Amino acid sequence: MIARPEPVAIGRVVATELKPSTPHQFHFWTANESPIGIGAIVRVAEGERVVYGVVTDGFAYSDLATPLHDVIGAEGDPARAAESPTVRQEIRYWTAAVLRQIPEEPLQPVPLGQVFVASDTDVAQALRMDAYLHSATPTAIPIGLYTSGGLEAPVYLDADFLLGPEAAHLNISGVSGLATKTSAVEFLLASVFRHFPAHKGKVAAVCFNVKGPDLCFLDQPGDLSDEDRRRYELLDVPAAPFERVHYFAPLKADGVNLNTLRTHPELVDDVTPLTWGLQEVVDFAEVLLNRDDIDAKADAFIDYLRDRVLGRSFEDGFGNSHQVGTFADLDRFFRLVFDGLEMSGRSDTWRTHHIATMRKVRNRLSNISTRCKGLVTDDGPSSDLPWGAFEDRAVYVIDVANVDPLGQDLVFARAVSKLREHLERRDLGVDAVVVFVDELNKYAPGDGPETYVKKMLLDISERGRYLGLVLFSAEQFRSQVHRRVVGNAGTQVFGRMDMDELATPGYQVLSPATKIKLATLPVGELMVRHPHFTQPMFVRFPKPPVLRGRDGMGRFPATVDLPFEDAVARQLVHMDRRIRPNQVKDLIADRTEEDVRRALAAVRQKRPEDVLAYFRKMLGGRVASDAPRERQVVPPLNPISDEPY
Amino acid sequence: MTWWDALVRAGAVPAAYVPPASMGRTDADDGAEPGADLVEGDAVAVHAIAPTLSPPACFLDGIEQWKVVGYDGVLPVVRAYVAAAVRRRGPDRRLRTAFESSREFAIAPLAGLAPERRRALEEHCADVVEITTEQGTQPGRLLELARRAVDSARAALERDLAERCLAGLGQKEWLVVDGLLSVSGKLAGHPRALGVIKSHGAQFFSGADLERALTVPADHRTSVFRARGGHARNEVYSWYLRLWPWEGNDLLYGLVRIEARADAATIAAATATSGWLLAERAPLATPDTRWDRLLYPIHDVETYLKARAPRDFAVSRVSRLPRTGT
Repeated sequence: MIARPEPVAIGRVVATELKPSTPHQFHFWTANESPIGIGAIVRVAEGERVVYGVVTDGFAYSDLATPLHDVIGAEGDPARAAESPTVRQEIRYWTAAVLRQIPEEPLQPVPLGQVFVASDTDVAQALRMDAYLHSATPTAIPIGLYTSGGLEAPVYLDADFLLGPEAAHLNISGVSGLATKTSAVEFLLASVFRHFPAHKGKVAAVCFNVKGPDLCFLDQPGDLSDEDRRRYELLDVPAAPFERVHYFAPLKADGVNLNTLRTHPELVDDVTPLTWGLQEVVDFAEVLLNRDDIDAKADAFIDYLRDRVLGRSFEDGFGNSHQVGTFADLDRFFRLVFDGLEMSGRSDTWRTHHIATMRKVRNRLSNISTRCKGLVTDDGPSSDLPWGAFEDRAVYVIDVANVDPLGQDLVFARAVSKLREHLERRDLGVDAVVVFVDELNKYAPGDGPETYVKKMLLDISERGRYLGLVLFSAEQFRSQVHRRVVGNAGTQVFGRMDMDELATPGYQVLSPATKIKLATLPVGELMVRHPHFTQPMFVRFPKPPVLRGRDGMGRFPATVDLPFEDAVARQLVHMDRRIRPNQVKDLIADRTEEDVRRALAAVRQKRPEDVLAYFRKMLGGRVASDAPRERQVVPPLNPISDEPY
Repeated sequence: MTWWDALVRAGAVPAAYVPPASMGRTDADDGAEPGADLVEGDAVAVHAIAPTLSPPACFLDGIEQWKVVGYDGVLPVVRAYVAAAVRRRGPDRRLRTAFESSREFAIAPLAGLAPERRRALEEHCADVVEITTEQGTQPGRLLELARRAVDSARAALERDLAERCLAGLGQKEWLVVDGLLSVSGKLAGHPRALGVIKSHGAQFFSGADLERALTVPADHRTSVFRARGGHARNEVYSWYLRLWPWEGNDLLYGLVRIEARADAATIAAATATSGWLLAERAPLATPDTRWDRLLYPIHDVETYLKARAPRDFAVSRVSRLPRTGT
């Protein structure tokens, strides 16, 4: 047995009538030179009682009665004050908040005992990590290292409280530009993937890349220092990039170039286009419609379309049969219904729906494919996330950084809804999904209109933990995010904060010293609040093992958009290396881009053995265009309405 | 059970009287009539001093506390505590304790106590100092004798510590004692021992010399003289040094008397020695009311000793009205 050296007391609890010890707070002094600092964990031992505390404030003062006495002593010369033969007696006086008392009952004021620097074991005890670190089914997930007093002790979160079902969600705040928020989440995801308890099943992450190249290089190794690697070792997290990362990005308006910054030739092949058709979009039509557009009539008509028309054979009552599967089909359906109404001279309602309502819905739905071009296709099949086949420990990055806000809303709403649906049915492929959303100030602001995205975020925050749908969210100003979104986050993480933000009421519980520390936190250090920790803890985490977005752009710069023919050829060559680009170019010469896009989308979806042959088949034969026939216009018998549609 | 509890059980009347002069020491020179022989110049002169760098030094001070804890008839029984410490100033200019000693004891007119009270005291208190009295001595006189006994115990403790410190003093290190140097032969004879006296009960000059000595301006010292009488049991040289301007305050404001070895070297070094003592004005020894004469390191030793002294000697702040028993 290795004999442990007796711990040496570094301080002593003192209590006065004005500053007494209480069951939740105590004061102690240390030598001037001590390893104690704000955030340090200390242990007070007196008899059978052991109290763990975290230092929340510090004071230093001397026996100087008034500053004037120093002036007099130095005869008004500051330089002489420093030359006095004797240094005044001074004190380092600390305030600590109680983390835990053993025994826990009866809860008593902290005894006036000796104070010791916490050991590894003390840290685990103080933060109540022993309950989930050493249980039969451990659920500990390292979030970083507690570093104080020369100690480096891993700090663990409880998976039951981070990823459900007891509590869930993580929210991280901090000023922008310090590479803390995203880095912390990247590290934590790596930690979750390594330590997610086996008895809880499989886990995956869906990350929305909402700005720049932040999450575009999660599969590429970053530059780690030896110190970082040592910390990874201490935390038992592999210092390697994510093994399974799947990228999804909408296409640009041209329908062939990807709308992402991950377009370097070495990496672009891993990016799957994200394109949705009518079927995928119509369920989320509310996302795309203005608040003014949504009324009971429009809602009813959309429901009618959804229930009776889309994806099934439908007779419109004018002798036309419809099979609506795409926006093109939908447009044809509307045209024929309107024509039918006009030709038949019937009233201004069709199947109880007023024609003005129908025209409004048609207008809005038809515009979707224009407004979200590249994401929503007028025609052709969709390309989507692998719902039902999510892989364990895989990251699915959906890059919507360059998509307009409407498209971002649509992507977010649909992706989260699908995740929820599949998790409810337990057929997603994994048991828990971490959804990472940055910029909550934009997507879930405390004030502003009730958007669909905000509603979705609230829904995840409030109900997600029962399903295994966990929200990791980040923002710059926590005080300006919807209270229920941040309030439902069981774990809250703070990077360097702005002093103005710290002055808001949400931070009143923090001591002035803690606030100052938060305002000056170095990169790589965080303050963590977790249900098991009775006080916020400061931890250090290593640099994430992946290439940072900015560095990635340096190493893998984005390429400029390819001409249409080249982009199509590249996509087909990527699917079948035997194809020569010129074959593709010959094939698509003189063909409309719409036809080419539709054929390409079909190939992407089918993934046939012979890519070129299937592409040719989907493209169909060349048909000479006829001169357009003159269309006979029948004037309406009665004016339908005054509606401008 | 404390010895004073035992004494009360044996029939003594409990008391909690803290005499006004019991919480500190006195430097009153109440010995033989003091006198001075000038050893520097023919008349008392004043010499300008400039502050200089202080040498390595140790500082010695002592405290005494006592209170009456019981009466056997009108005979007071006193509980006393004396302590002394030497604090060494390190290269970091901080003071750390090098030597310390304390003593807690009882003082009683044993011969006058009733047998059972005397037995109780002797059985329960290992350290009893007897004050001898004549039949019918007034309690006030007994308290004065007790004060002297405490004073003597404190002085003995200081002397002992000083001599232990001198034995280990560094080659260039000084020992600065709060009070008289002449109480100890070893101290008085050491080339790097200084006594700093703040109270001026004993006046060594008269007439114009006295006026010149007591009106010495700030940053000046007087001529060195041989001190005679007072507490001076061993020959020492002495001089006055004014630390702060007295004008607008009091004649003795900022005035200290220095004692050093009776040697020609002391005269030669008096100005230099005064220079570094002058530098010890800073930091101020506030909030002590004697800060104008109290060197901060001495104040520090005193604070240290008081912090370690028993807390129950202090004057109780609670009302001394009779208890109602409710």
